[in-house]
Amino acid sequence: MKLNTKKIAMGLITPVALIGMLAFNPALAREPYTKAELADQHKQLIDMVNKGYELWHGSKASMTTNGLACGNCHPDASATNPATFPKFQADLGRVAPLRDMINWCIQVPLQGTALAPDSEDMVAMEAYAAYMNSGSKIELGVDKQMPNDVVKDGRGYPWKGSGIGYDKGKGL
Amino acid sequence: MTDFDKLSRRDFFTISGKAGLATLAATAMGTNMGMVQVAEAAGMSGGKVTPFRFAIITDSHLYDIADHKFDTQLSDAVDKVMAMNPAPDFVVYTGDIAQNGTATQLQKGIKILSKLKMPLHVIPGEHDWYLDLGEAWRGHFGSPTWSFDHKGVHFIGMNSILLHDFWTAKNMSPEQRMDIVTMLESPICGPWGVREEQLDWLKKDVKNLRPDQAVVVFTHSPLWDYYPRWNFQTEDAPEIRDIMRKFDHWMSYHGHVHQTVYNKIGNMSSVGTLSTSWPWPYPPVTLAYPDSQMLRADPGNFEDGQGTQHIDLEKNFTGVVHYEPFADSLTPFMKNGFKV
Repeated sequence: MKLNTKKIAMGLITPVALIGMLAFNPALAREPYTKAELADQHKQLIDMVNKGYELWHGSKASMTTNGLACGNCHPDASATNPATFPKFQADLGRVAPLRDMINWCIQVPLQGTALAPDSEDMVAMEAYAAYMNSGSKIELGVDKQMPNDVVKDGRGYPWKGSGIGYDKGKGL
Repeated sequence: MTDFDKLSRRDFFTISGKAGLATLAATAMGTNMGMVQVAEAAGMSGGKVTPFRFAIITDSHLYDIADHKFDTQLSDAVDKVMAMNPAPDFVVYTGDIAQNGTATQLQKGIKILSKLKMPLHVIPGEHDWYLDLGEAWRGHFGSPTWSFDHKGVHFIGMNSILLHDFWTAKNMSPEQRMDIVTMLESPICGPWGVREEQLDWLKKDVKNLRPDQAVVVFTHSPLWDYYPRWNFQTEDAPEIRDIMRKFDHWMSYHGHVHQTVYNKIGNMSSVGTLSTSWPWPYPPVTLAYPDSQMLRADPGNFEDGQGTQHIDLEKNFTGVVHYEPFADSLTPFMKNGFKV
């Protein structure tokens, strides 16, 4: 069979040309975010993370009837492993998203009233847990959800502040 | 005979502090080889201690809420200690009876602990102290700095949660000060320590003791840099260890961390204790003795990862640490007690 090289060439060139036109047409492409826009987006995230920090540490009275807060057992949102959800949760008996486990903890260990799953408070709780664990190495089934540092003897073992809530210091 | 028999005591401490050999040292201590044989091989004088048992209860964090689950959990620990056979000669409470340092929280704890039939020695934790700077605590328990001798062992208790004043300049109320100290992740309060006055007291207290004297020290916080981000440390622990350097071996038992943990630095064996309230996750650090980390607690079981502990001191001043968890959370390393 003789190949029609002219048709094949046109068939290739046409889509490439269309993609090229779309890519370089300023009316169709999204402009890169400006520094101000990026700063505003980051601020909105950090505001939400800070709101989550406050909730995590007992700012909403309805979340507890026994005085406990999430921070009692999960300092720095440790042992939450947000990146591993959804997953099977033995306490719920099913595959569940993080927000369901957050509500389980509020209702059972804290004996409080669950947050509405689509509420801003719940988004804030998830934002705090995710932010504090961002970049963590995931090791399922263990608590070591943050990068390990070797313990050193003596004074001066440093830590970096998270910049969230009270933790705006420069470290010890 | 293993190579450990041939090591001098100084060699043993030196290698046990090196990461590459730490696991080997831990393994040796977990079997019938270990500190006793090594110490005896080096000619350490033995038989100074009349064997006995003491128990530790800690970190009940009682709230101002009636019939709180933490009340029950502290009562359970007291019952567990009372049921021990043989019974402990005495019990040490290593801090944080209260959650917010209120008089009612302290009184509730004292009432529960009063069921113990053996002597009780108490040191404070930061949750007991920073509402009124220890006034109510001292009213109940007296000085937080003490020592006594029992069956050949010198026991010391110190207040390790003393902070530099962070509240006056910021004009904080007592409640604000307490709130900040209560936060594990708060850096505002800074690191705590025993400070100059107690360091001077310690120097005097141990001045006339012989190097082979058996010494046990209780503090609320660990006497090493475990994880300062959560204030799992004592700022002047290096000075304490320096004062204690003259002893062949001394043991440190601490609360505060709400988990099983063991470490060894120089001539100090350090043991963390189970709380009666809630377990904390292990901080993201690598330990020389990872087998001393308990299993991750089940959040659906309110008593998992908590409990109490007793220590059997043997005649050559070896301590066998027995954690007494409310639920089954121990690794094989800890099941039948481990030597320190």
